[in-house]
Parts: sequence; C-alpha cells; structure tokens
Amino acid sequence: MSEITQPVTSTPPVRRLAENSPIVLFGLLVILCIAISIGSPQFYSVENIIAILRQCSLVLIIGAGMTMLLIAAEVDLSVGASLAFAGVVAMDVTNQTSNVWLGVGAGILFGGFVGLVNGLIVTRLKVNSLIATIATMMILQGSVFLYSRQAIQNHNQLPAFTALSTGYLGPVPVPVVIAAIVFAGTFVVLRHTVFGRYIYAVGANRQAARLSGLKPERLTLLVFVITGLLTGLSGLILASLMNAGQPTAGRGFELTVIAAVILGGTSLSGGRGTLLGTLLGVVTLQVINNGIIILGWDQELQMVVPGVVIVLAAYLDLVRRRAGAR
Amino acid sequence: MPQSASVSTFRDTNSARDLLVSLFRRNETVLLLCLVVLIAYFSFASGSFFTVRNITNVLGQASLAMIAGIGVGVLIIAGEIDVSIGSLAGAVAIPLVVIMNHGGSLELGIAGALALALLVGAINGYLAAYLGINSLIVTLGSMFVIRGGIYLYTGQKAIPDKQGLESFYQIGNGRLFGTVPYPALVALALLIGFMYLMRHRPFGRKIYAVGGNPEVARLAGFNVKRIKFLCFIISALLAGIAGILLSSRLGSAVHVAGLGFEFQVVAAVVLGGVSLAGGVGSLFGVALGVLILSFLSNGLGMLNLATEWQLVTTGAIIIAAVGFDEMKRRRQ
Repeated sequence: MSEITQPVTSTPPVRRLAENSPIVLFGLLVILCIAISIGSPQFYSVENIIAILRQCSLVLIIGAGMTMLLIAAEVDLSVGASLAFAGVVAMDVTNQTSNVWLGVGAGILFGGFVGLVNGLIVTRLKVNSLIATIATMMILQGSVFLYSRQAIQNHNQLPAFTALSTGYLGPVPVPVVIAAIVFAGTFVVLRHTVFGRYIYAVGANRQAARLSGLKPERLTLLVFVITGLLTGLSGLILASLMNAGQPTAGRGFELTVIAAVILGGTSLSGGRGTLLGTLLGVVTLQVINNGIIILGWDQELQMVVPGVVIVLAAYLDLVRRRAGAR
Repeated sequence: MPQSASVSTFRDTNSARDLLVSLFRRNETVLLLCLVVLIAYFSFASGSFFTVRNITNVLGQASLAMIAGIGVGVLIIAGEIDVSIGSLAGAVAIPLVVIMNHGGSLELGIAGALALALLVGAINGYLAAYLGINSLIVTLGSMFVIRGGIYLYTGQKAIPDKQGLESFYQIGNGRLFGTVPYPALVALALLIGFMYLMRHRPFGRKIYAVGGNPEVARLAGFNVKRIKFLCFIISALLAGIAGILLSSRLGSAVHVAGLGFEFQVVAAVVLGGVSLAGGVGSLFGVALGVLILSFLSNGLGMLNLATEWQLVTTGAIIIAAVGFDEMKRRRQ
C-alpha cells in the first residue's frame, strides 16, 4: 500500500533515486571510474578494460549461482575449493583423452556433482548450509591433494584448452562471452520464469512457500546444483587461464564471490536480491582492484578496500530498508 | 495472586531449565562417548598415541581452538557470529612482537595485543549490535580488512622476535611440572570461568535469552544490544589470547598465521552442539567438539595417514555429527 502511494505523494526524486540500490551502486561505479581515470589515463585503454572484464567473468559466473543461493536463503562456501578441483579434473581428463570437450564436460560435471552433494546434505540431512559447505570445503581441499599433489600441466599443449580463456570471439574475450551468456540465462530464469519466482518465495518464507504447495527442498537442491555447475565452468576457465590444473587455486575465492553478491544488494537472510546488482557488485570490486594496481598503490589494499566497501554497502542497504519500512 | 503467579512462573522456568539441562546432558554424553571411543581406537591402533607426551601435546594444540571456541560459542549462543577471529589471532602478534622488539616487556606487548583485540571487538560489536548490520557481513568485512592490514604492515613477511625473551617462549611452549602445557591451563581456566558465567550468572542466562528470542528478551527488559556488543568483545579478546599463544609457539608475528582458523573454530563449536540459530548449546559441548577434532587429527597423523586425509575426515565427521544432531532434534 505505502509502496504504491509513496512515490506519488511527496517523496523527493533524489530520495527515490537513493532508495534504488542498483542506481546507487552504478553511481558509485561511475565516480570510481572517473576518479581512477583522472589518476591514471591508461585506465580507459582497451587492454585494461579487457583485463577487467576477463577478471569479472570468473567471479560473475559463480556469482550468478551464488545470487540464486542467497535469494533462496542458503550459502555455499565450498565454491573456492570446488573451483580448484574442477580445474584439476578438467585438465587431467583433457590430458588423458586428448579431447578438450571431454575435459570441459568433466570439469563442469564435477562442479555439478559437488553442488548435488552440498544440496543433498543441506536438504536431506538438514545441516545448516554454512556449516555443510565449510565441511565440504575441507573435504575438497584435502581430497584435491590426494588426487594430485602438484599442478597438472597441459601436457599435450592443446591450443583449444587455452583458447577457452585467452581466445576471442570477434573483439570480445571468450570468458566474457561465456559470462554474458550465463548472466543472461540466469537473469531470465530469475526474473521471468516460475522457477525464479519460486526461489524468491522459498527464500523469503520457506514455511509459507511449503504451505502454498511448493517443494522448497527440491528447489534448494536444484539451486545448489546450478551453483555447482557454474563453479565447474569457472574452474575450467581458470585452469585454461593458468594452462594447468592448480590444486591450490581458488583459495578464498568464495569470499570474493560472496562479497560481490552482497555488495550488489542481495540479502543474506534470503528473498531479496537481483542479478543486475550482482553484476554491478562484481564490476565495482574488480574496478577497485584494478584501480589499486594502475594507481600504483599497495596491492595489499586489494583486501582492505573491499572489506570496507562490503560493510558500508550493507549499512547503506539497512538504512534504506529502515527508511522504506517507516 | 501475584505471589502465586510468580511462584508458578518460577516453577515453569525451573522445569524448562531442567528439561534443557537434561537435553544438553544427553548431547554432551554422546560427544563424550565419541571422544572416549576415538581415544580408545587410536590407542589400540597406534602404540605411541596414548602416551603422556602425546596426550599433553594434543591438549596444547587443542587449547588455541578451545580458547577462541569459547568466545565464538558465546557469540553464536547470543545469535551472532564472528568469522574475523582467524585474521585477528594473526594480527595481535604484530603489536606483541613489535613492542617487544622495541625493548618493551612481555606484559606491555600482551597489553598492546589485547588492546588491538578490544578495538576490533568493539568495532565489530558496534557495527553488528548497535547499527544492526548482519554479523556475518560485518566480520567477513573485518576479516578482509584485518588480513589486508597485516599484509600492508608486514609486507607479507614474518616479523621475527628479536629480543628472544624467555617468558615469551614459555607462555606458548612451557609446561607446568614439565607435563601440562601452559596454553592448556589457560584454556581450562577460561573454560571453567565462562562455563560458570554462562550457567550460573545472570549475564550468561541473558545471553541465552537474547540468542533464543531477542524480541522476548527485549520485552523482558534486557539491553539486547549491549549484551550482544559485550559478546563480540568476549569473542575478540579470546581470539586475541589465542593469537598471543600462537605467536609464542611460532616465535614471531607470521603474516599468514590464523588463516582458516575461523572455519576450524566454527566447525568445532557447531560440532559441540551449539546451534547457529542461537540460544542453544553449552561451552562444555564446545570443549568436547574441539577435543574430538584435535584428537582425530592427531590420531590420523599417528596412523601415518597423509595430512590431507585429516581434512577429509574432519569435514565428513562434521557433516555426520551435525546431520545426526538435526535428526535427533526433529524426532523429539
């Protein structure tokens, strides 16, 4: 009721704008870009923009799944460990079979399998997803070393494998194309399909969703599998980027992804969030990272600044929601 | 009339408490049983497991996670969480070692370390309890900021302890009568103190009330924000103490110290029967959770299994234990 009448009556346009979280984030992004380019004109060079986009794509691919998970009021901390393992598996299968596509399939399926296991633990055993995925993170970190102690190199030097990350489709790098497809797909699913609306419903109020005939367990399981598949895909691209399956890759990557999603305005308590926000969150964090490098600041600030930004974003979100509730 | 009402509510809370206590007891009995079985198994499987030397070693190693676990346990019971403890445990070593390197005493260094912990706890607590930001986000943020701060200050290198005070070495590595490690004594003292606080002091009962249902606690006249704020301080100070002992064991301020410590501690706390939803759990359970994980990893090491197996089994046991616990809870 109040939501409908408020804009019509007397809310000043500036505040209405400030209450729209993607627009605030977009404004922040624009200011950041201007500030960085004043400090260093090479920010706008084609190479730099492509580098930023390539870095964004890895985070965005998993971030799309993580957004759905957080909207469904779950979380997955095992994505960093799964990312590394999927890359190792993809590289190994590619080496064994000399077939890049089999490697690609194995990497993605491995990620999906991890997602399935996570989902089953959360929905069947009813283990809180934070704990469940901390545990699977430990299991993956341990077992990836049991699988291979060293990085698995691209023995056959198949060019198709490296093309996954360094290739171009026209002027656009392949990972960016993949990320764009993933983004568009998940965007449509979340916004325009019944399944997407159900995810919001389950995350906002699980009990109400169940009473209206939804099957929250099945939906949650599916979202875990989707996140897993996307993690596998991202792990594959990372392995291609390094031209090797590196067991230690992806440490702490889960936190980067979650930070970007939260920065994009998705709520940890479920039921609220958009993929557009996640996209902006991912780009903002990567622009900050990039800016720190090309302005010649200490690289360690790459941890400090995002930490501050996440908390700040969460606080602004809170203030906005309280203003809205009033 | 008012008298009888108060008597009946007194009885109600009493019987409810009895019920809760007996429930906890059952949960802890299971954990204790697991621990005994675990120790018995490893004693049979490996000759060098059940020796005074090895058992005291494990207790020494477990004490760091136990000290931090007490703080995190209190905080999770209050319905909040702190994942910045690993970074903080690494960070407190910097003021400690730097103060000593500049000729300060060990006491002064410890004071500096605890002051840093207090500051971090106050910031976390202010943002989460008073401003109301989700504590997972707040402490995730401070985890980044603190670790980044460590890297900035140290340039990603360890700061060695140049003064080499004997007392600094002793607090982490010394043993009472040559057997019981000092960190284990610190952990035991803190455990007893905080168990007493949680079970027998009004403040402890308030923490359970706040975590169980903040709205009811508020209506009952408790200052929910202040109680939560204090729990963040407790968690940070205990992580600080763990960090001081860790740096004594490492003999320096190591920039990667405490990486992943938060996951280990949260896992042990939840294994000990503390619910992430808040209001449920006991510190005795937390202690058992920490001991189970510590003896497990030590025992697997004794069996000459690769260290990676320890991670895998630990993860699997956490899932099994928490899943079993949930199943039991749903049956009742």
